[in-house]
Amino acid sequence: MAGCASTPPDTTPRTPPAQPSPEQGQTQPLPPSQRQAPPQVPADRGGPSSSRQNQKQDQDDQSDTPPKEAPPQRAEAVSSPAVMSLMGRADTLAGSGHMDDAAATLERALDLEPRNAFIYQRLAAVRLAQGQADQAEQLAQKSNSVAGDNPFVEANNWKLIAEARKTAGDSKGASAASSKAVNYERSTSQYSQ
Amino acid sequence: MARQSNKKTAAASGGRPRRSLTRRLLPYLLLVATAGAAVLALYMAHLDHEVRAKFEGTRWKLPAKVYASPLELYAGQDVSEKELITRLQRQGYRRAASVDDAGTYNKSGAGLALHTRDFQFWNGAQPDRELRLGFDANGVSSLKALDGEGDLALIRLDPQLIGSIYPNKGTDRILVKLGEVPPMLPAGLITVEDRHFMSNWGISPRGILRAAIADIKAGAIVQGGSTLTQQLVKNFYLDNQQTLSRKGKEALMAILLDAHYTKEEILEAYLNEVYLGQDGSRAIHGFGLASYFYFQKPVQELQPSEIALLVAMVKGPSYYDPRRHPERARTRRDLVLNMFHEAGFLKDDAWQTAKASDLGVTGTAARGNTQYPAFIDLVKRQLKGQYKDEDLTEEGLRVFTTLDPTVQATAENRIADGLSSVEKQRGIKADTLESAAVVTSIEGGNVLALVGGREHGYAGFNRALEAKRQIGSLMKPVDYLTAMMQPAKFNPITPLDDSPLAVKLANGKTWRPGNYSNRSHGDNVPAYYGLEHSLNIASSRLSLAAGIPNIIDTLGKLGYEGNAPAVPSLALGSVSMSPLEVAQIYNTIATGGYYTPLRAIKDVTTREGEPLNRYPLKLTQTVDAGPAYITTWMMERVARHGTGAGMYSTIDRSKTIAGKTGTTNNLRDAWFAGFGGNRLGVVWVGRDDNKPAKLTGATGALPIWSQIMADINTRGIVDTPPDSITQVPLQLIFDPNAVNQGAGNNPNQWFANGQSCSNAVKVPFIKGFVPQGLLNCDTDIMRVNAQQNQPADNRGRAPRDQDNDQGSWFERIF
Repeated sequence: MAGCASTPPDTTPRTPPAQPSPEQGQTQPLPPSQRQAPPQVPADRGGPSSSRQNQKQDQDDQSDTPPKEAPPQRAEAVSSPAVMSLMGRADTLAGSGHMDDAAATLERALDLEPRNAFIYQRLAAVRLAQGQADQAEQLAQKSNSVAGDNPFVEANNWKLIAEARKTAGDSKGASAASSKAVNYERSTSQYSQ
Repeated sequence: MARQSNKKTAAASGGRPRRSLTRRLLPYLLLVATAGAAVLALYMAHLDHEVRAKFEGTRWKLPAKVYASPLELYAGQDVSEKELITRLQRQGYRRAASVDDAGTYNKSGAGLALHTRDFQFWNGAQPDRELRLGFDANGVSSLKALDGEGDLALIRLDPQLIGSIYPNKGTDRILVKLGEVPPMLPAGLITVEDRHFMSNWGISPRGILRAAIADIKAGAIVQGGSTLTQQLVKNFYLDNQQTLSRKGKEALMAILLDAHYTKEEILEAYLNEVYLGQDGSRAIHGFGLASYFYFQKPVQELQPSEIALLVAMVKGPSYYDPRRHPERARTRRDLVLNMFHEAGFLKDDAWQTAKASDLGVTGTAARGNTQYPAFIDLVKRQLKGQYKDEDLTEEGLRVFTTLDPTVQATAENRIADGLSSVEKQRGIKADTLESAAVVTSIEGGNVLALVGGREHGYAGFNRALEAKRQIGSLMKPVDYLTAMMQPAKFNPITPLDDSPLAVKLANGKTWRPGNYSNRSHGDNVPAYYGLEHSLNIASSRLSLAAGIPNIIDTLGKLGYEGNAPAVPSLALGSVSMSPLEVAQIYNTIATGGYYTPLRAIKDVTTREGEPLNRYPLKLTQTVDAGPAYITTWMMERVARHGTGAGMYSTIDRSKTIAGKTGTTNNLRDAWFAGFGGNRLGVVWVGRDDNKPAKLTGATGALPIWSQIMADINTRGIVDTPPDSITQVPLQLIFDPNAVNQGAGNNPNQWFANGQSCSNAVKVPFIKGFVPQGLLNCDTDIMRVNAQQNQPADNRGRAPRDQDNDQGSWFERIF
């Protein structure tokens, strides 16, 4: 059928295979970095800047504007009780190895809040635990795309992406992702903790 | 064998019509009688085998059941109390003084009390719950459990049953158990159809007599002569022939059935087998399905008046069809209610109440397969190839879909009303226009609604999937997206030449695109303005410079699977697509470049609820976020300032919406496609014979689209610029009709404020590709910026469209 749902369905195993549960560290925002690294814009955010105006804007980001309010670090800060309840349920399911059910529950949460970066992040972690490296990376990227300017979320997404690439055998890509994660983590220190 | 010997015997006995001594004949008569008994015994054994094999084997083929997506109830859900009540009524929920029973609700000052139904979802059973919902201006404000079974953060309503997948000219049913139907149903059946069912032997000679007397007394046919067992046999084993031998066979089989099985088993089979109506080519069998077909609710929840109506219809489902012959049906229902009352199981009060109540059948628009034929068609296509036909029509699979009945109903109604009113307004002959629409959830790619034509429930040509029409200017966002993927050449203020253009084609013909207004807008049109006002010539130049093959490549990335013609006119939409295909490519733009295949199905389970297949969310970034963001930004300007601006006479102005009109040659097709934050819609209006509809996208499709999007509470787009985007505040002054294209007589006035400008708009550029020398508060006219007080060598012009970049397969001439 042209243009519609040509993706073959995944067959659900009758008995869930024993899967490692997603590491909580991947889905939970990390504690703020203790190292007081100087504020730094992550490498991928600048791009080849060719105009005065751009340089000025970059400066604005760092010095001219007053300290920004910290973006949400945890899902609770931006998610409705309904979504939190579903994410809790998904965690329980993932913890007991029911990865497909966990993913389906997270999809239900996405239907409620389709631009919640934390939900995409957890779904990415579930796919990674299932060995679906490509979907894990795509979902983590999607999480980044709806995160806005949130280095806390983005740092964790890049960690996930690094793991996904490692799983897929792309060690070069993995280390590139890891350094992005480090950069984002450093940039979280711009927010007074 | 048996028949043959029977004939021989008959011939032998008939061959001697001699007037002889009885005594002499007696041995022969005995022989004949014995042979006859043996034959009968053999025949009975044969029938017995038939009766048992069928009764005990796979008795019923169960068509797959298709469900809409369940409504989620939670604090924060943007569903008003009124909308929820409409939904509950559509699903057969009953307003009641108390909500002790599942499937009831009660509205009071304290909010809405609701007793949900239990339901076997794809991920397990959800028990029925009693809860109370509070509402405020935004929708559901609170959700509280009333049953002491624990707190609830959210709960799903049971999903609406929207159809079955049954074989052509097939029968459809939902199985029920005798123990789960209201006791009044079997009791009522026995009272009306077969009073001595519990004590007879499957047939009842006295019953036939009694029925005749009852009929004479009542002055009408109120009782049939057949027992329930005979009726079951007739439905179950025999065709409709009414010959004497059939009657005999029926009676023999009824006796056998009665001998082998308990009354309860026979009654349960009857409940599931009896024919109760017709839905197109689909035959409605059994009370389980009839309950949904007529009342949209499970049989357990039927009220006395509804039970009486179904029992009344057993006599003649077509003659007493409550939708087509409501008076006839009501007269017989009341007669049946009287019989219930006389039999003693309907007390005075309940009897009076039942007689006073309406028939209560849902409208013609709310029944089974004919309700959403276009969507069911999409579901079937998606299932095809993954399941064998028999699996779908016989195994009772449960298919959970993405359909949102509220969105679907809105789209259907808005199309029906919108076409009539545009026909009236524009003096178009009534009922000549056709339409199709698709609504998706954007993220997740869920198809929420699919309308195949203006007539509700008409299972004909499914225009949403099958009507492939040229898409006209709906193509332009794809052109501009392709251009923005080349940031060294294009940005939102790249000047485009809108002066007349002629392109010599490979076949020797010359292509001369013209603007809808038949005029040029100069040779300095900022790119965003070209899309905003859908300028054909400027957009063609941009497309030729961006490369037609690159545009075809972009179409593929967006999810188009067809073959687009590699010709310059592709830039203006000389490619035919179905509304669903358009929805797919726009959906990818709306997600910020993440291709998500549109899906109509989420899960398939077995009859018992075991998961079979899941269709999980899959997304792939096929288009970079930056170009997708810039394209969306330009489409937002189409909605605010351009050809789509009419939407804001319907949609709340505070909402940011992106969209594009489409109009094809000679006004054959009118399109509008666009999206907010959580809903995307595509509407096509045209004629089936492809003659000019005399409508543009803005006059024909946009009003309907806007009504749909407003009704379904589409959220505005939340501005989330990706990391690859930088925003430059610019004064957007370009106006082809004003002095000096909007710059005025004194262009310096725009630069008087230095670098502060409160009227500026943040224009997105790909980082690193802001035109050399462009300053904050500059204008959108590069020519004007270049003439300003900055040293000329500090200012570079953004690259013009590169006319020399055209492929070798055409040559440009002037």
